[in-house]
Order: sequence, then C-alpha cells, then structure tokens
Amino acid sequence: MVKFARVSVIGYWLFTLGFLLPSAPLLFADDQVAVTVQRPWMRAVPNVMDTTAVYMVLVNSGSAPAQLVGGSTVIADSVAPMITTKEGEGLKQVVGMKGVDALEIPAHGRLVLEPNGNHLMVMGLKEHLKEGAQVDFTIKLEPGDHEIHLKIPVQKKPVQ
Amino acid sequence: MSVVSPKTTSVPNPPAKRPFFDWRVWTVAIVLLVAVGLAVLFGVKQNAQQGFYGMRLFPLKTAYDFKLHGPNGADVRLDQFQGKAVLFLFGFTHCANICPTSLTNLTAVYQALTPEERKQVQVVFISVDPNRDTPQTLEQYVTSFDPSFVGLTGSKPAIDQTVLAYGGSYEMVAGPTNQPNDYSVNHSAYTYLVNPSGKLELLYGNEKLGEVPKMVSDIRAVLHEPRS
Repeated sequence: MVKFARVSVIGYWLFTLGFLLPSAPLLFADDQVAVTVQRPWMRAVPNVMDTTAVYMVLVNSGSAPAQLVGGSTVIADSVAPMITTKEGEGLKQVVGMKGVDALEIPAHGRLVLEPNGNHLMVMGLKEHLKEGAQVDFTIKLEPGDHEIHLKIPVQKKPVQ
Repeated sequence: MSVVSPKTTSVPNPPAKRPFFDWRVWTVAIVLLVAVGLAVLFGVKQNAQQGFYGMRLFPLKTAYDFKLHGPNGADVRLDQFQGKAVLFLFGFTHCANICPTSLTNLTAVYQALTPEERKQVQVVFISVDPNRDTPQTLEQYVTSFDPSFVGLTGSKPAIDQTVLAYGGSYEMVAGPTNQPNDYSVNHSAYTYLVNPSGKLELLYGNEKLGEVPKMVSDIRAVLHEPRS
C-alpha cells in the first residue's frame, strides 16, 4: 500500500512536469512570441521574374502584440514585409506596394498575408521553384529576435 | 372669367357621373402613370447596367486603338483583335503581388471557357515599365500563365497615351536601395473588357477577378451580344 502510494507520487510529478516542461518557455520569458503559422505558400513565378511573394496567416495566441519584421530563404537575396497601397479614386486609382519595417500581429489576433494584400516580398530570386516544390523559409518576429523555420509549398494559387 | 374651376364644371353634371370626371381622380391617375413610366425606364436602365458583374460603361464607346510592340517587337494594335473580346490590364513584370494575382485569376477565367469561346477571347498585358520589360521578357512572362496571352510594351509616349486614353494612371516609386533599377510602379489595376465590336464595355477592379464563374458569365454575355 505504501509502496503503491510512493509510485503514484512519483508518477504524479512526472505527469505534471510532462505538461509543464513544453510550456516552460512561455511561462518564464515575457518577450517570447506565441505565434503560429497557418497555410503558408510561395507563389510560383515565371523564370523571367526576379521577385515573388509569400503568403500565410500568423496567429498570435499571446497577450502581447508581435511584429513580423522580415524573413529569409536561401533561394533569394532578401525578404521584406510589404503593404498594398491604394491612392486616388475611380479609374485614376493606382495600386502599389510599399515596404514597411513591420507588420503587426495583434494580441489574441491574426495577421493575414494574402494575394492583393499584405505580403512578404521575396527579392533577388536565385532559383525558380516549380509548382509543387517545397522551400525552406524563415520568418523573423519581434520581440525577442524570434525566428520560425518553415517548409513552404510553392504554388500558383492559394492553399485551399 | 375664362378660368373655370373643375368644381364649377362638375356642378351641371348628373350626380351619378361626377366621380368619373373628378379632377382629383385624374390627378392621381396621371401621377401613377408617370411613376410607373419612370419606374419602367429606370428599371430598364438598371437592367442594362447590372446584368453584368463588371462595371458596365453606358453608352458604349469605341475603345482607343492602341499601337504597341508585341512579341519580337512587332506592332500590335487593339483593332487587330476585332471580333474577339479583349481583356487587357496594365502592369509590369517586377510586380510581385498584384500583377501575378490578376494574371493567375484571368488564367483561371480563360481556362474555364470552352475551347470555342477561347478562340474568341484575347488576354493582353500592357507593361507600364518599358525600361525593364522588353518584348522578349514580356512574352516569356505572359505565356507562362497561358500560351495565348499577349504582352505589349512600347515607347513611353505610346504607353502614356494608352494609359491616358483609358483614364488610368501610373507612377514610379524609388526602392530602398536608391539604385537606378530599384523601383516599383504604382499603377491602375483595372482590367478592361473590349467587346468584339471594339467597344469598351466592362471594367473590373483587381479584386473582382477572382470570381471566376461571374467573369465567365460576363464574357459569354459579351460574346453573344449582337455585333454592331
């Protein structure tokens, strides 16, 4: 009976620690980013293009806002967050894009990167991956100089 | 005494007929008729505009016959495509987001048409960046979306004239490195549909192009219009 109780006490601690350990970084570091990535994809582009774009949804489960500040991939020179701009009205309206230092992922909120909207522009393409390929892609978040390493599918259209 | 009030004229009438000639009845009847007439006219006009998903231009006007350089630098005029519905848009090949999105959507629209319909439809991409987009670059670019697509460029005056004729606009914006070739182009992102009679008929903002069935339905309607 005593022996059984001791085993269950050890078992209890192992059980509890098993739950606590994976979440330890979140508990002990205030500047940790609690962001996950959904449905990432890179646009497959014609060989004559030296730029492309990466789209995804970033979900922030933390109670503090996070910033998407950039990214990197071996197949291109640089990656930068961009917003889509619209100036003027009616037929004279011009649509363009503009580099920004960061795109915010609100606390308990999401940042959507999508065609025609906000995106990560990939500049100086060194390799043109075909539809169906996968590319290693790293995104950089603040605070905490946080990086998330992803394998991103290359596609012509959004992930369904 | 030349003015005779309706009330006075009604006095000699037999009481039984009075309601039929009462001026109030006539006033109401005329107002109703005018209202119905206006509603019908307005309805017809609404119908003419709104049966289409795209923004319909009314009345239709002959589309500006641009003359630019196509594949291999050969001259290409809009009029060459008469008899086809032409969907064209402005852009540039260094554009990473808007232009490939629009062309991907137009590819889906084009490929949703029947082979017979496709023979009557031409998609044209006009560069607003002749400095970097050569006819060869453009051809490789547009044909990677669909082999039938045509990319056009030209002298800056010819491009400016075309953009202006379609009420559009564009501007170069310097990039972060300040290198001469590091710039982006903010541009009109409409797709213009010229019908087989050469009239500019429909306009689509870039965000509308993703609705493939609605785009296809518009194109079919345009192809079935009586030719003028």
